[in-house]
Amino acid sequence: MNAGHRRRGIPARLRSTLVALPLLGFAIVGLLAPVLAPADPTANDLAASLLPPSAEHLLGTDQLGRDQLSRLLHGARISLAVTAAVLAISLTVGVVTGTIAGYLGGPVDRVISRVIDMAVSLPGMLVALAVIGVRGPGIENLVIAVSLWAWAPYARIARARVAGLRGSPHLDALRLLGAGPGRIIGRHLLPPALAPCLVYASTDVGAIVLGVATLSFLGLGIPPPDPEWGQLLIEGRPHLASAWWLAYPPGIAITAVVFASNLLGERLATGDERPSILRWVLPAGLRAPAPRRSPARPPTTVRPTATSATSATSATSGGDGTLLRVRDLSVSYPHRDGRRRVVADVCYEVPRGHILAVVGETGSGKTTSVLAPFGLLDPTALVIGSATLEAGTHRRQLVGLTPPQRRQINGRHVGVVFQDSLAALNPLRTIGAHVDEAVRNTGRGGRRATTRRVTEELLRLVGLPDPVGIAREFPHQLSGGMRQRAQLAIALAGEPELLVADEPTSALDVTVQAQLLDLLARLRDELGMAMIVVSHDLAVVTRLADTVAVMYAGRIVEAGPLTTMVENPVHPYTRGLLDAVPRPGTAPGTRFRTMPGRSGTGPDDADGCAFAPRCPIAVPECAQEQPTLLALAPGHRSACPRQSGNATLVVGAAPERDGA
Amino acid sequence: MRAPERLRSAGGRVARWVVDTLGVLLALSAGTFALVLLARGDPAAMLAATRAGRPATPEQVEAVRAELGLDAPAPLRYLRWLADAVTGDFGLSLRTNTPIGPEIADRIGVTLGLVAGAAVLALVLGVLVGVAGAVFERGLLRGVLRTGALLATSVPAFWLSYLLVLVLALRLGMVPTSGMAGPATWVMPLAVLGLPAAGALSRVVAVTLREALDRPYVLAALARGSRPASIVLRDGLPNAAGPILSVAGFTVGMLLVGTVVVEQIFGWPGLGAYFVKAAAARDIPALQASALVLGGGFILANRLADVAQVLVDPRSRRDSGTRRRLPRPRWDRPGRRGTGETTAHPRTGPT
Repeated sequence: MNAGHRRRGIPARLRSTLVALPLLGFAIVGLLAPVLAPADPTANDLAASLLPPSAEHLLGTDQLGRDQLSRLLHGARISLAVTAAVLAISLTVGVVTGTIAGYLGGPVDRVISRVIDMAVSLPGMLVALAVIGVRGPGIENLVIAVSLWAWAPYARIARARVAGLRGSPHLDALRLLGAGPGRIIGRHLLPPALAPCLVYASTDVGAIVLGVATLSFLGLGIPPPDPEWGQLLIEGRPHLASAWWLAYPPGIAITAVVFASNLLGERLATGDERPSILRWVLPAGLRAPAPRRSPARPPTTVRPTATSATSATSATSGGDGTLLRVRDLSVSYPHRDGRRRVVADVCYEVPRGHILAVVGETGSGKTTSVLAPFGLLDPTALVIGSATLEAGTHRRQLVGLTPPQRRQINGRHVGVVFQDSLAALNPLRTIGAHVDEAVRNTGRGGRRATTRRVTEELLRLVGLPDPVGIAREFPHQLSGGMRQRAQLAIALAGEPELLVADEPTSALDVTVQAQLLDLLARLRDELGMAMIVVSHDLAVVTRLADTVAVMYAGRIVEAGPLTTMVENPVHPYTRGLLDAVPRPGTAPGTRFRTMPGRSGTGPDDADGCAFAPRCPIAVPECAQEQPTLLALAPGHRSACPRQSGNATLVVGAAPERDGA
Repeated sequence: MRAPERLRSAGGRVARWVVDTLGVLLALSAGTFALVLLARGDPAAMLAATRAGRPATPEQVEAVRAELGLDAPAPLRYLRWLADAVTGDFGLSLRTNTPIGPEIADRIGVTLGLVAGAAVLALVLGVLVGVAGAVFERGLLRGVLRTGALLATSVPAFWLSYLLVLVLALRLGMVPTSGMAGPATWVMPLAVLGLPAAGALSRVVAVTLREALDRPYVLAALARGSRPASIVLRDGLPNAAGPILSVAGFTVGMLLVGTVVVEQIFGWPGLGAYFVKAAAARDIPALQASALVLGGGFILANRLADVAQVLVDPRSRRDSGTRRRLPRPRWDRPGRRGTGETTAHPRTGPT
């Protein structure tokens, strides 16, 4: 979890310890009460009744003149004693029962589990009250009553832990070595079962203390004159209005112990809370200061400015029908120390009606670099650089837009199709509800029936049969290909000028893939829509793209027109990708070449070319200086210094094939 | 073939639910009956003493024992007791020598009213605070809400009632300190019962909603230009509804049990106060009766929440299996299908 960086000052471990401190204090006070207490908690002194706090009685005295502080401290002792007794009993009973059930399995396990389930599902307070109701109050009955409901969670935890261990090879080995069940349970199962139970016990303290106090308050727990906390409160009740010192301290003591215990339990149960994606879209005023921008490693990166849009490295100038122009885009995420870039200095552009394909391996930053301009990354991502969209009538800088401004772009001018169609659709809403919402967002909706007619039209447009019926289906009822079409219908609702498709076909089988690619090509032709298609599959790319950008380790290493890229690839990585595509024409038995090494590095991990370690033509200099994208021909850029000078020469050389 | 199959599947699930619920209730009744076995002292002697107004003679005790059927073996007594209990006959209170059934019937309305009011308070407040906790970024408001919620769950109900009495009743004089009369008397019991429940519920709402809002469909909703409010209401909350409903059911059950304390504190003539009185007097039949009713209500609230949880998720409805046929005859409309296919798990199913 990378949330640790947002913590100010105190590390998470220490915070858990801090939370546990009141519990520790409770235990210490309980143990040392006889030493700490200034007076005998049961010594009456009617002459000194109901005295307010003074130097002699720090917390005043009660109606019988007893020292309230001493009674409070001794109350901790009683609570602690009852809690310890209850925990000892329920831990022993629970862990042993659970371990036996988990170890034996079969019918015994089923019966015990059923009993545990019922015991867990019963309200503890009711059980305790009922048991005390038939047995009468007193410390012994109190411990029995509370233990009767406290044991079950331990049994459940221990059973789950042991059942998980039962089939492990470790136990099989022990059995083969001749260890009996007693030894296996005692030495090898009880300790691991006990550990999570002890953790749970720390959070159970609060519930037990609260239960005991409540029972005492109802007159069914610890009988007077023992100074139990709940007992103190019930005795102080008649003097509530006049003697505040009787009403507050015991309540505060109980609340503090229970609060610490609950807080600890919540921390252990849910861990650190992650911020949601939504906080990204809330108005800035509702948010705490945005993550500070720590200096990214290369200090050359710039904040989005109007000028950075024009200070382009490419030769093409603005106002020429270029729909999206991305310049020096970098994306970084919080990391152990500061931020770590995952996409660095990316430049690309999408002319109207053109299809740009972004290819690269998993983790090369291709999805991040195409979703970043539209604010569709994790809230912790920091995007810098420039991305201008010339949609509608005017040109807009996309980096740094506010959420309401984004809503004017997303859905209206830009539609997005995500990779995992099942995850990208809300499982609880019908396809029609999704599309309806998209239609309404873009202002094309009207009354329910009108909106639905537009929806059905969109579903028909993306080639779904029976739009009326499909609109009423839930996402899980459709096949992957149909869901992908549904996503497309959502994306098309605003008649966008740009469609961003992230791996639109990778989860589909080949025939469905082909249909979907045909559909995309048709939409481009019919609607004149520009597209960015992210894919790791060059076969997809060659069917669709006008231009191709190849990414490696968060940077574009080569970009150019499709034909150039396929026939004259210059960068060794591009050539490697092409070589890895199986071709129907090759002789049987030819092994297609795969690239050695592995991917997954970030753009700033190496001083030089990130591909150098895997590159067949690398020279030592490659690992020293970061290569820059150089223009080879109009629209064709490559970041390989060894190739760009004599591109044609090298491209002429036939790629070697293993085993040929 | 289709319709009967569907019926069998739906009917089977309902039947299974009913059988399971009855099983748990039966176990509760057995446990409740078994309280007698834990008892110290002789119930017959207690009732005889109540009737005579002084310690009873052995003959009087034996007469009562025979009248109560306490001389029969325990399993037989259990069956008799259960048969009577089902018809609402819980016997005579050892404390007052009056029938228990009508007493419970008189009191249950008060308790249900209290629980209903507190449940509304807990749900409204819990969901609102939980949503705020999930949506706002770490900051002052969030910290306050979270601490407040945890504090509300940690404060003992009886002490919270003290604080309210001190402030609302004694200092401000807005409401009476106890009793059940006008609307003003409802304020404190509802607050004492509802606030801790709201706190607990809000934590669950915050955590589950946050999880639901971290899913890719939220990103997809942002991509189509949906507003945050729409995302929370249409995408976040429905997807978090399962765990929330489950905890809400548990919360309502806990409210029912919580009336034990609250009615006692504020002197309300409800079932909870009756239970405490019975426990204090070791009035075993009355104790058994009220434990059975309160416990049964607790179990039913939880079981009903389970049903609601299934109903909100179309994926868990058995009759909506994954289908891949594209063209569909008109009679085969969504919502009333019963394909024989098993429902592929939504996350792991092949696409």
